[in-house]
Amino acid sequence: MTDQIAIQTEGLTKHYGDVEALVDLDLEIRPGEIFGFLGPNGAGKTTMIRTILDEIRPTKGRASILGLDSHERSVKIREHIGYVPGDLAMYPNLTGRDTLTYFSNLRGGVDWSYVDQLADRLDADLTKKVGDLSSGNRQKIGLIQAFMNRPEVLIMDEPSSGLDPLVQREFQTMMRQVAADGRTVFLSSHTLSEVQRVADRVGIIRLGKLVAVEGVSNLRSKGIRKVELFFDASVDGAVFESLPGVRDVAVANQHVTLSFSGHMETLLRVVTERYTLVDISTQEADLEEIFLTYYRDGDVAT
Amino acid sequence: MTLANVFTKTTRDRWKGMAIGSVTLAVLFLFGMSVYRDIDLSVYTDLPDVFRSMVNIPKDADVASLAYGAIYGSYGTMTLAGLALAMGAASIAGEERKGTIGLLLGNPKSRSTVLVSKTASMVFLTGLGALFLLGAGFVVPAMLDVSITGMHVGALIFHMFVISLFFGFLAVAIGAWTGSPGAASGATAGIMFISFIGAGLFPLVEGYENVAKAFPWYYFSGSQPVSNGVNWGHIGVLSAGVVLFAVVALIGINRRDLRGETVGATLVDRLRGNPITQKLANRLAGSARVSRIWVKTASEHQGLLLVTASVMFLFMGVMLGPMFTLIDDALAGMTDQFPEALVALFGGGDMGTPEGWYQIETFGMMAPIAVMVVTVAIGAGALAGEEERRTMGLLLANPIRRSTIVLHKVLAMTLYGVAVGVATFAGVAIGSLLGGLGMDMGNIAATSLLVTLVGVAFGALSLALGAAAGRVKVAIYGTVGIALILYVLNAFLPFNDTFAGYAKWSPFYYYLTSDPLVNGMNWGHGAILTGLTVGLVVSAVALFERRDLRQTG
Repeated sequence: MTDQIAIQTEGLTKHYGDVEALVDLDLEIRPGEIFGFLGPNGAGKTTMIRTILDEIRPTKGRASILGLDSHERSVKIREHIGYVPGDLAMYPNLTGRDTLTYFSNLRGGVDWSYVDQLADRLDADLTKKVGDLSSGNRQKIGLIQAFMNRPEVLIMDEPSSGLDPLVQREFQTMMRQVAADGRTVFLSSHTLSEVQRVADRVGIIRLGKLVAVEGVSNLRSKGIRKVELFFDASVDGAVFESLPGVRDVAVANQHVTLSFSGHMETLLRVVTERYTLVDISTQEADLEEIFLTYYRDGDVAT
Repeated sequence: MTLANVFTKTTRDRWKGMAIGSVTLAVLFLFGMSVYRDIDLSVYTDLPDVFRSMVNIPKDADVASLAYGAIYGSYGTMTLAGLALAMGAASIAGEERKGTIGLLLGNPKSRSTVLVSKTASMVFLTGLGALFLLGAGFVVPAMLDVSITGMHVGALIFHMFVISLFFGFLAVAIGAWTGSPGAASGATAGIMFISFIGAGLFPLVEGYENVAKAFPWYYFSGSQPVSNGVNWGHIGVLSAGVVLFAVVALIGINRRDLRGETVGATLVDRLRGNPITQKLANRLAGSARVSRIWVKTASEHQGLLLVTASVMFLFMGVMLGPMFTLIDDALAGMTDQFPEALVALFGGGDMGTPEGWYQIETFGMMAPIAVMVVTVAIGAGALAGEEERRTMGLLLANPIRRSTIVLHKVLAMTLYGVAVGVATFAGVAIGSLLGGLGMDMGNIAATSLLVTLVGVAFGALSLALGAAAGRVKVAIYGTVGIALILYVLNAFLPFNDTFAGYAKWSPFYYYLTSDPLVNGMNWGHGAILTGLTVGLVVSAVALFERRDLRQTG
């Protein structure tokens, strides 16, 4: 089953009345990868997830998971997936263990030693009622519920909300192990740093449209660098602004900061020809900045 | 504007209940007074003292005092006080249960201020309800041309208002100390009910007349305010109670740790916590409870079933048998004197026979209501409830069909409907044996089966409405509204020759029209009710399969 495309959408579109929540979404997620699905609140991430899970039906287009049609074969699909809904709600009067037992029964049983292992790793309390747990501790039950049947495809909508940093790190390790097994993780998030840390590829969605799909390393290399330059004398800002790939130039006497995309060599050659460079520091731009750039430019091609 | 402060927001959230309650009471009052105007009132003088005293009817009753006493004095006061205590119980404890108290107190308002605002809203709305009833108390007799000379309507309403505040503030105080809205409303309602019975019964027991004074209700009705005007001494006693409860509430709310959003602990939960009983309780509450969808659904409604089935068994079944033998002389021929329409509304039947007695008291109205309470609660919550609580997405992430979920819910609903039917059967059968009424067991079983079928059919209706709309309120109000209309149509259409045939469009027609308590099972009618249920379930599945799940409540 792992040689199938994990998740595929073709022209997936969902309208709520006049509102276009999802527009012509084409996406292909390969087995064994961690795919980050990024976008601000209201961009259409949850609508996309609910559509491929057959909670809601597309206005146009289709989706498949593990090669099975998301609507026709939804029950079969759900044998092979784990799901953490955004804004997770569970049965408040059941304990964590009761909750997991319930879902395990609906699946025809799970490996309980694995459940205990997961609970241990996430430091989850299964004896308390879900309604009495803090939101982070409740989220842990939701995560165990999604991981416990060793699904082929894990679909998670903002899964790390409420988790403390230590647990988040463990959760990221768990995701990497799933991918190392050849299984697939679909992770929707607006937390860029998290996606950056675990994802292989990232899709960026905005106003229902897929703006870009890129490998994380790719995004980085073509991404913008923050460059700080120190000179032995005052410099002229216009010199920098005219260079290709440079933007956001700020000059304060001998000190210049700018954003740069392209080969560092071109920047350095021009700079050293004119001035004496005392010090330089460059910072790898994080997805945050790349993300913002995509937003500013709107429809950057993939 | 309505969100200007805690007072106006609370009033906005709560005014509908008060409006519905007081309008209903006014209509009931109109209905009651017009009935009393038309019947021979001697039936009431023949009633046992216990009954009369309980429903607040003086011995030498005339039309007006009967209507004021029976409608305002008992139902009316219970309703007004019930609304007040519901508001009181929800005041602070309700916000704690919902987990919103922290947000509210994150604003620069003291706990005392919030409590005072909320109780002020309770007093305000209770006052409005009382004023409305006062208006109806004058308008209705004028409309019906009934003399109210010598009646102190204002005094009665004033007493009603003060006793309502008494129970309202009691609920506020309990809620303020415990933080549990359930404890506050449950304990207060219990105290109210006991005090209602106590104040009604003790005056009849020689030598114990004064015990009645221990019950708050005595200070509402003991002085017969509608005949004798305001009794300031009694009002003083109740007002002292109000002040005491208010002070107790203010102290309680300020010295206690506030609760976060909480889940009520049930008895089984407590047993689970105790190492001695843990094993047994786990078997009851743990893995068994979550083994399947229908079992889990059933377990969520245990409490409701327990209460409903017990009431039907004990009060509507067992106890009515011996009671019939005690008062059958007074009842004989009583039905003849009631307008036919009124008797029909309670299911019809001749109160002079055991079958007629049980038909009017138990099967006519109470039994279908009891079955429906359970089936509609499960049916309406089945799909719409899981959607509103946002658990449906998680449930449907498992490899099960939507139709499977519907069928599991239907199974739980049907089993519970049957359980109420069986309890009713057992209660009436035992009541008949205890009273030596000699009713036919098969016929009791047939009637119980038919009431179960009619109740399950309306449960299926609420399920279908919930499947279509995804909203619990739509499912419940829709079902109750439709059921009420169909019930009334079935009761009244037969009086009109032209429209009599249309009664067959009401499911209730297939319940009692064949007189199963006398004639036994009508399988054709049973089949029609079953067919209706099946049809509604099939459409529920179709509606639910086709629809987008709702995302939020």
